[in-house]
Amino acid sequence: MSDPHQPRWEHDTETQLTSRQRLDRTARHLLPSVFTALVIIFFSAPLTVPGAAELLPAIVINTIFFWSVWRPSGMPSLAVFLLGLFMDLVGFTPLGVSAFILLLVHGIGSYARFGLMRMNFLVVWCLFGLVGAAAAALQWALACLFRLHLLDPAPAFFEALLCIGVYPLLSATFSWFLHILDEKDTP
Amino acid sequence: MVPVSIQVRQALSKLVLPVLLLMSVGIIIAGQADRPLADKARMRVADVLAPLWSLLSRTQTDSERFVHGIQEARNLAEENHRLSAENANLRRWYEVAVSLARENDTLKTELHWVPEPTPAFVTGRVVADSGGIYARAVLLVAGTTSGVQVGNIALASSGLAGRVTEVGAHAARILLITDIASRLPVELESSHAAAIMVGDNSPLPRLLYYSQDTRPIEGERVVTSDQAGAFPSGIPIGSVHYLHPGQPVVQPFARLDRLTMLRVFDFGQSEIEPPEAPGHVPLTRPHRALTLPFKTLLGPGQEG
Repeated sequence: MSDPHQPRWEHDTETQLTSRQRLDRTARHLLPSVFTALVIIFFSAPLTVPGAAELLPAIVINTIFFWSVWRPSGMPSLAVFLLGLFMDLVGFTPLGVSAFILLLVHGIGSYARFGLMRMNFLVVWCLFGLVGAAAAALQWALACLFRLHLLDPAPAFFEALLCIGVYPLLSATFSWFLHILDEKDTP
Repeated sequence: MVPVSIQVRQALSKLVLPVLLLMSVGIIIAGQADRPLADKARMRVADVLAPLWSLLSRTQTDSERFVHGIQEARNLAEENHRLSAENANLRRWYEVAVSLARENDTLKTELHWVPEPTPAFVTGRVVADSGGIYARAVLLVAGTTSGVQVGNIALASSGLAGRVTEVGAHAARILLITDIASRLPVELESSHAAAIMVGDNSPLPRLLYYSQDTRPIEGERVVTSDQAGAFPSGIPIGSVHYLHPGQPVVQPFARLDRLTMLRVFDFGQSEIEPPEAPGHVPLTRPHRALTLPFKTLLGPGQEG
């Protein structure tokens, strides 16, 4: 006669294992979004970081583009939308503008991802530069539209340059991170 | 989870992005239409995040203080060295000062120096003066009950402010040096040349009647002169500044546009009376009876 507790015990361990795996996978999927949210909170804090106002959208656009191209499961559209809305609520841009721009960047990244993944790093960088510049220009244009007043384009230029300049650094960091995740996955 | 076919799921996932884009456009429009709601949402988020932000900024200030402390500690030895050198230097100067004070005392004793009386002063709060016959005058809450008299001198913390012109039991009106009615004998400090400082209701009173061979120099200090017997000499007034060539003005040290407290000094200047000299006609003072100048020339019994 077999022990009646045996099957239940086996069943328990199995669910525990799967729930842990599920937790692990959820954490992995949420990580880019959580990182972006923390970046938004950090840069909207009243710190004396020079150029924080321009650096924040640059980093966020970089992060969203990178994950949209290389690991879309880590950056779903809904997360992008919520992050954009959060950025608008925390910052001073008109409500919904950042969400719109970030969704566009995410859409371009995930639409062109199969083409981009096969390209050289420098070519991807150049293409991303175009996307970043377009995002900065769009943000400037929308700000002008809502104020009904032609604003100084210098901060938008600065933002675009920061966006392009920060890409290699963030890209290297995220690639290294992806590499570690994949190594953990294989065994 | 609702079981859906793969085709439906793919179609749904393709729809998510356009729907979200449309939603963000809708939020933009709604935010523009109802700004108070957007601001309220913003404030709600800021309220939630405020502790985090304060934690971040406090961490930053703490780390800055820490780094600053380390830098200071690195400079400590150097600073200590500098301070001890300065201390030795100051001790030397202290010895010099003590010996000079002693020498000064000895010399004064030798010369039978009459010590200058220490002036009595009262301090009062300035209240704005809208009335009165002067354009630049202030009212001070200190009057005859506090010992203020007409002709006393009002000093701000950094220089001369004006003179007491009218005095009541609890208030005194002070004519500022910038008023058009104010004319003071002054002395240019480096050349000891006399001049008259004339107010013109502007913040910078003009310098007039200086001798042509000793012109005021830009930046030179202007102090009071005891020429007319109204002021003791050497009270700082201001510094010379040229608005145009040949038009020197005085920049007063006292900030006359925002006076809060004034000290009114009684230098006892009115008690200085020149000794009578034969043939000298003394200036009449309103509060003193006119004395006949030539009474000593008259014979005894002939006067009155």
